[in-house]
Amino acid sequence: MEKERTEVNDIDRSIYDFRDSEEGFYKVKEGLTPAIVEQISKEKHDPGWMREFRLKSLEIYEKLKVPDWGPDISGLNMDDIVTYVRPNTKMSAKWEEVPEDIKNTFERLGIPQAERESLAGVGAQYDSELVYHNVKDEVSKTGVVYTDMESALTGEYEQMVKDHFMKLVPPTDHKFAALHGAVWSGGSFVYVPPGVKLDIPLQSYFRLNAAGAGQFEHTLIIVSEGADLHFIEGCSAPKYNVANLHAGCVELYVGKNAHLRYSTIENWSKNMYNLNTKRAICAEGATIEWVSGSFGSHVSYLYPSSILKGDDSHAEFTGITFAGKGQNLDTGAKMVHIGKDTSSFINTKSISKDGGISTYRSSVTVMPDAENAKASVSCASLMLDDISRSDTIPAMDIRTDRADIGHEAKIGRISDDAVFYLMSRGIGEEDAKAMIVSGFADPVSKELPLEYAVEMNNLIQLEMKGAIG
Amino acid sequence: MESRQLKMKINPIASPTWNFLRLNDVPIDETVKLNGRGKSIIQNIPPKVMVSSGSCRECGECEAATYDDLRQMNTGLGREADDFFDEVCDDVLHIRSRKNAKVSEPVCISYTFEDGDANAMRQEIIAEEGSSITVIMDYTSGRKDKGFFGVQTKLKACENATIRLIKIELLGDGFLHFDGIAAVAGRGAKIELLQMELGGGRNFVGVNTDLEGTLSTFEGNGAFLCLNEQKLDMNYYIGHRGKKSESTLAVKGALRDSASKNFRGIIDLKHGAKGAKGDEQEETLLLSEGVHNKTLPVILCDEDDVEGSHGATIGRLSKETLFYMQSRGFSEHEAEVLMAKGQLNFVRDLIGDEKSVGRIQHYIEEVFGDDR
Repeated sequence: MEKERTEVNDIDRSIYDFRDSEEGFYKVKEGLTPAIVEQISKEKHDPGWMREFRLKSLEIYEKLKVPDWGPDISGLNMDDIVTYVRPNTKMSAKWEEVPEDIKNTFERLGIPQAERESLAGVGAQYDSELVYHNVKDEVSKTGVVYTDMESALTGEYEQMVKDHFMKLVPPTDHKFAALHGAVWSGGSFVYVPPGVKLDIPLQSYFRLNAAGAGQFEHTLIIVSEGADLHFIEGCSAPKYNVANLHAGCVELYVGKNAHLRYSTIENWSKNMYNLNTKRAICAEGATIEWVSGSFGSHVSYLYPSSILKGDDSHAEFTGITFAGKGQNLDTGAKMVHIGKDTSSFINTKSISKDGGISTYRSSVTVMPDAENAKASVSCASLMLDDISRSDTIPAMDIRTDRADIGHEAKIGRISDDAVFYLMSRGIGEEDAKAMIVSGFADPVSKELPLEYAVEMNNLIQLEMKGAIG
Repeated sequence: MESRQLKMKINPIASPTWNFLRLNDVPIDETVKLNGRGKSIIQNIPPKVMVSSGSCRECGECEAATYDDLRQMNTGLGREADDFFDEVCDDVLHIRSRKNAKVSEPVCISYTFEDGDANAMRQEIIAEEGSSITVIMDYTSGRKDKGFFGVQTKLKACENATIRLIKIELLGDGFLHFDGIAAVAGRGAKIELLQMELGGGRNFVGVNTDLEGTLSTFEGNGAFLCLNEQKLDMNYYIGHRGKKSESTLAVKGALRDSASKNFRGIIDLKHGAKGAKGDEQEETLLLSEGVHNKTLPVILCDEDDVEGSHGATIGRLSKETLFYMQSRGFSEHEAEVLMAKGQLNFVRDLIGDEKSVGRIQHYIEEVFGDDR
């Protein structure tokens, strides 16, 4: 008799799959030309240096090749992508001034409620521009700056932006970093002054509504000496039949003895090419913690990287990837040890089902002067059926003897022995399997902010029926 | 003397990753003057083992299909390196155990070289149904000799057969060495590979294993020692096609001075290989500031009813081990030597052939004796 398989439901996307009209929105033409880049620069009132930077980035983009090692992105044609879509509104710090349909979108996503209940500040980007940005008064009074990138670029923080913008992720890094340099728009700028510790997080939420469009937001965060910040990033989009592109860039500067936690729940629609670049650099004694949940997108290339430049600096990456039907999610992390006595820890979980492809890819590099570097990598993959795929491709490049590096990985399905053990303790078979899958994801979900942990548990809260395998 | 321009990408990986890591393949661009020098001596041919030399079709005793299998299969060195062997090696050494012959005595082949020798050779080892065979191949030259030695070895273990291949590489530190292996295992067949990579200046080892048969197994154990300017590049691919096929790969060794080593190990659990299990482990002991180690242990999984695992440990002697050893009267240097020997002995002790073990032991003592 054929065994009945456990049904692990797809992520319920109904809360994300609604669309608004684009009537009255300003758009540039599809494709990528110097004229389009100049038009974006003009629309955004860029200073001269930024206009030059964009055009130079476009030149670099033209010269670089698409990656020859990851998932296929031949379905992405830049000639079809609209790189700038401005909603018919200006950015506001007052929720009531946001247009009704956009407001409804973010209400449905729960952003204002989260702001009221558990956040120090919120930014909401709709297509290419921020439509709402607000930070609580008590947070502003500490000197924390949380604003949109355009305001930062054209206001009193221009020099600070100029000193840091795409210095950590230069346009030469890869083709889509160059693309970002050419057409970026939106995103958040955060500055936390020395010694300021924010107890509650800041959050930016990115919503891409327009069909066939790209979103290229830039997030620049500077956490000064001894400061502490938790930043949350959420993203979603409705599903279309044409390709959408997300090529954002996140640059994080973590100062001496500072601490930054950067949490992301990515829930783009399954027509999205998510080619995002995230990088942090840590000064002496600094800590960067990445918490990352990748659930959406058609194709993802996502590998947050941490440069441990300062002595005694530390990085952690905790991630979960859930690849369902039609998804090819290539995710992981990069760690670069440069300073002495640095340490890094990577812990990831992947789940594949319904023909989904999940690839864990990582690199740990220990440079010659990184005395006493310690790195540990642990990755586990769970296959929920025999039409899915899961690969692990972890690399280690060690250039000194004064390092201790450990790595372990496992791939498999739900263990019959574990199910048998739980059943022998009086737990029903379906509950036993649900418990095992939840337990598999638990080390990651417990690191997420509460509301996201609940969301993730709902996402993987599995309607179990029968037996896996 | 035939001058050959070796311009190729060697040891290509089946699952490429970031190009900045420089692990997807190794570009080779240099001239080798092949002079056919160097001796290969078959020291021992046990009964029920057939050894012949010639073109593939000449012996006439095996089914042509058996050779076609091997012909079509690339070694882990990759197609470009295999094309080079096809071009320069007219003859192939065939070694074959007859059906159901259980041959415990090894076939021993010694390849000895002198300074300036440059040669390339091919072998095919076939264990017919139900048979078992052990082949020991060792490559030796003077410690300071320079030269080139390329060797391609293709294995086929037919149903319920076992091939045990032992390779001992003790070439001089000026040698460029290619060692390509392709292996295919039929139903219930076993391929066991033991490798000692001790000598050579630049060594490229590429192993491609196809576990096509149900219940087929691969057991690989490799040990390496890289000193001074030595470079070692290893590329292992183990493809699981057969149901309940199993593989284990363990590679251990030590790097010292300015030596470098790349290790790529890929376990590919293909669709349909239900019940398959693959495990790979790597341990590298780092003994000097100037060493460079790259490791890429990969699992590719296209089937849910499988188990795949890998682990890697890279680092210096732990403080606890060092403290323990020092409390027993060993200096730090002596402790390091002892631990490095331990990494090598794990394979040496599996070889089981006294002569070979003695030769390895002598080489290791000589190398570490240089430190005195």
